[in-house]
Amino acid sequence: MDTLLFSLLNGVIYGLLLFMVSAGLTLVFGMMGVLNFAHASFYMLGAYFAYTLQGVLGFGAAVVVAMLLAGGVGAVVERFFLRRVHHHGHAHELLLTFGLSFIVAESIKLLFGNFPVNYQVPAALDGSAFSLGGQQYPLYRLLMGGVALAMFALLYLLLTRTRVGIIVRSAIYRPRMVEALGHNVQFVFMGVFGVGAALAGLAGAIAGAFYTTSPNMALEIGVMVFVVVVVGGLGSLAGAMLASLLIGLLTSLAVGIDHSLADLLGLLGARAWAEGVGGLLTLKLSSLASTLPFALMLLVLLLRPQGLLGDKS
Amino acid sequence: MRTSISLLSGGVALLAVLPFLLSAGLLNAAVQMLIAALFASAYGLLAGRAGMLSFGHAAYFGVGAFATVHGMNALGGTGLLPTPLMPLVGAGAGLAFGVVAGWFATQRSGTAFAMITLAIAELLHSLAPQLKGLFGGESGISTMRMPAWGLNFGSTTQVYYLTLVWVLISLLLLHFHTRTPAGRLTLGLRENSHRLRFLGYDVHRLSVSAFAISGLFSGLAGALQVLANEAANYVVFDPAVSASVVLNSYIGGVGVFLGPALGAALMSFFGYAVSDTTQAWLLYQGVLFVLVMMFMPQGLVGLGGLAVSRVRRLGAARALPLLLAWLLAALLLAAGAVFLVELLQRLCSQDYRTLAAQAQGWPPVNLLDATWDVTSVATWAWPLGLMALGGGLLAFAHKRLRTPEDAA
Amino acid sequence: MSSFRLAALPAALLIASAAHADAVKIGLLETLSGPQASTGQTFRAGVRFAIDKMNAAGGWNGQPVQLVEYDNQGGPAGASDKLKAAIADGVQIVVQGASSAIGGQITEDVRKHNLRNPGKEIVYINVGAEALELTGEKCNFHHFRVAPNAQVRTKVLVKGMKEANALGKKVYSINQNYSWGQDMEAAIVDNAAAGGYQVVEKTLHDTNKIQDFAPYIAKIGSSGAETVLTGNWSNDLLLMMKAAKGAGLKATFGTVFLDQPGNISNAGDTALGHFIVHAFNGEAGGADGERFVADFSAKLGRPPVFVEPQTAFGLDMVADALRRTKPEGGKLNVNAFARAMETARVKTPMGEASMRAADHQILMPLVVSTVTRDARYKVDGTDMGFKPVKVFSAEDAAMPVQASCKMQRPS
Repeated sequence: MDTLLFSLLNGVIYGLLLFMVSAGLTLVFGMMGVLNFAHASFYMLGAYFAYTLQGVLGFGAAVVVAMLLAGGVGAVVERFFLRRVHHHGHAHELLLTFGLSFIVAESIKLLFGNFPVNYQVPAALDGSAFSLGGQQYPLYRLLMGGVALAMFALLYLLLTRTRVGIIVRSAIYRPRMVEALGHNVQFVFMGVFGVGAALAGLAGAIAGAFYTTSPNMALEIGVMVFVVVVVGGLGSLAGAMLASLLIGLLTSLAVGIDHSLADLLGLLGARAWAEGVGGLLTLKLSSLASTLPFALMLLVLLLRPQGLLGDKS
Repeated sequence: MRTSISLLSGGVALLAVLPFLLSAGLLNAAVQMLIAALFASAYGLLAGRAGMLSFGHAAYFGVGAFATVHGMNALGGTGLLPTPLMPLVGAGAGLAFGVVAGWFATQRSGTAFAMITLAIAELLHSLAPQLKGLFGGESGISTMRMPAWGLNFGSTTQVYYLTLVWVLISLLLLHFHTRTPAGRLTLGLRENSHRLRFLGYDVHRLSVSAFAISGLFSGLAGALQVLANEAANYVVFDPAVSASVVLNSYIGGVGVFLGPALGAALMSFFGYAVSDTTQAWLLYQGVLFVLVMMFMPQGLVGLGGLAVSRVRRLGAARALPLLLAWLLAALLLAAGAVFLVELLQRLCSQDYRTLAAQAQGWPPVNLLDATWDVTSVATWAWPLGLMALGGGLLAFAHKRLRTPEDAA
Repeated sequence: MSSFRLAALPAALLIASAAHADAVKIGLLETLSGPQASTGQTFRAGVRFAIDKMNAAGGWNGQPVQLVEYDNQGGPAGASDKLKAAIADGVQIVVQGASSAIGGQITEDVRKHNLRNPGKEIVYINVGAEALELTGEKCNFHHFRVAPNAQVRTKVLVKGMKEANALGKKVYSINQNYSWGQDMEAAIVDNAAAGGYQVVEKTLHDTNKIQDFAPYIAKIGSSGAETVLTGNWSNDLLLMMKAAKGAGLKATFGTVFLDQPGNISNAGDTALGHFIVHAFNGEAGGADGERFVADFSAKLGRPPVFVEPQTAFGLDMVADALRRTKPEGGKLNVNAFARAMETARVKTPMGEASMRAADHQILMPLVVSTVTRDARYKVDGTDMGFKPVKVFSAEDAAMPVQASCKMQRPS
């Protein structure tokens, strides 16, 4: 029972971390149609900025400044790089961001080296929140979850209850009309991109201390973030939250399940046959924990291509 | 038309005599370049002509590769399919998988289509290490080219000619496809599939056929790689392989038939040549991608086309020196930037930092077989000066090469 | 055209090298870029150190040994390409260690090349690809593994931890789901009787894909295991230990790759009390050990870490074999070198190491250490280091030849 509770809690927290990173991506995706391969790079940049500034500014301030710096980099990328290739089509934007992700990763390797750097959670936050069944639950994890929830709430309120939010949302659907009404749509795009990057940077600054901070961070979380965005629905914040939680829980719970399809078929009396066939049927679900998100993504794309909570536009 | 045919025949003739001009190591690089060119051309059919951006094309390449390696191990190079005909196995597997995957993927379009292809490739990539029988775990499946038709296929030269023949046949077939009605219709898929539907064509079936043909030739390219390397490994399903074929195609330019092939050959050679020279070669590759995407959206073929159009508009006497100046400027900029990056790389490396800590100062660095004093202005003036010079020359050439038609 | 110029360059090199009384070329075919570059670069550091030492002692055939470096771009296909380039450049000894997948590709390519080109053989010195099959079903006369493997490492780790009373009765085995992890899992189960423990559960997880190890730690906790034995490396090890600390898991970890740079500094105090089996510990080597550390520090500005010592010792063995191989017609006869390598013995600071002719696996001493604050050599800029618990001689560490190895020898 305790294990189940832990698994659920872990799944939720991991899902919230995924949400922090993918929130920005889904907004940018929904608004500009730009598949930003470099989004995970902002995550990594946030972690490295925070690591560099931690000694000078202290953890909290370093995280905030890292977030702003990542946002700044995002705005610069949008203004000077993406805007140039926007009219050439989606493929070019995508490939540009792909090239940028390479540049960021290699520059970080150049400046900080190939090995993980010593970016640690500060001692004040490093305790345990509570104990359950002999195992402790780290305080910092709950903090990460809290920040993600706060981010969700803030973004949601911003988008639905403020004037800026209305402009942003309408720019997603009818950019020309918004422009005709006198708003600076280019600036809105830049702002959204910057905010998306800042959110990813915040996620990186916070998660990098808990997990490892290495030049491969972007690769590790990059593909999963795409899965989240696609499953949730492009442009839908609530969809991203739902999908992140779903995937977090799926991976977390699957680890505990040591059964395979052969066991399921065993219920129907076909176990021996299934084991004879081997291959896919005898693979344990726990070994497939990282494959399940892709299967989910494929399923969603085939059955409901606009995502779970996306709009059929 | 005449010039392009003579250019092409010249190119083929050069390729035919390449083994006599190159060392074995470079000849092997040429084999890989040919394979990459075929893969990119197959991708160009789908992305360039049919307008369907696929992000998981490595799946069809990999399926073709594994089918071929199993075929080689099972048939031993004799009987129905001797070694030179083995790529047909890969082509067949690529076609079959392309039909199945394409049937699902082409039900959606645009971004959803791209994501489906990505998901298929990633699913394969995740499952492959678990399915040892099919994919051989992380050491892959190895095989050996068996002698056939009087040749033993032991030397790189024979492998090169085998690859060359298959690639030329495939490119010819692909080009022929563009001339058929079906090939023309794939253009319609890109331009206006809605209208195509109203004209009475089954758009889904057309899309699947385009996808399947692309899968066929991708599988063939995979088979050729297995013939060259005598092994197949599940890392062939890695997203990086899918991404590299997309990049190669767009760097070459998807508007022209041979564009992707050119881009792939060039980037393949770039990786081969530069990876041993410097540790920061992935950075240079990334910068190259970004620069091409930003300033050469038509790809390198487009660049060639631009140069030709300049010569035509300004006259050869005026245009050629300016083009040369432009090229020189690009080289200077590149040289300066590379110098700077290499300096930085040495300065930030772990070894240098420990040396600096020991010496309590800034020891000199080793670059281009010479030592450079980090604290002196000259060391930094060189790259910055080169870049400034290159930048100025580039601006000058660019301004002079502009014609009134450009503003329109 | 540039292809002519490119063709001329290697030709000129070949002519130039032929003019000399032939130097032997050693090719390093490593992962020098991409995600696993850090490991490849560590192997490279060890190889460079050993080659410099070889040349300081006179090289071979009156000429310094030439080291040529190739970047295999992180994958077996790239390794295959660069191997062909190395052969074309006249390399006769190929060295690699960072990945068992690449090792498998290289050993097969070497075997095929030698089959097709009798008289122009090349040999593969494996300094770190530890998959069992390389000295099992893929064993090959022209492949020499101068690194340990899962079986010997686990045997020594279990013995060492048992003697330090850190093993307990319940052991949890968690490993990566590929050949290395599967080899480790099999070895952990095989050693249960000798170690006097029971394997309460075995887990295989995806390699280098998992960010959140908390579910696995929860499983370990609920199984009641006292010790966790794992062959995980890089992020998989680090994240697992961090998750263990976060959950307050009270198990001792017995590892193989805890000394990878970055692990100790990132794990912090979590690492204290955990065990590792590795090839070298400066504190346990006596005067020889200190001299090795001093030499290495003089050259690279820091003491040797991670795989650098085992690489250096392995190449010492190569140097020993080279010394005993006389040039034939001014060149190195690779088969003669291989025969000399089969009987090679070197004295490492940890004890004597020798090559086993039956499967070309090195028999080398291994040392079990634990992470403490009072170790002599601190790592990663922290105040912690590895303190030796026990050194096991090559005989104690050895495991029998695998039945699947059917080596074909040239006549």
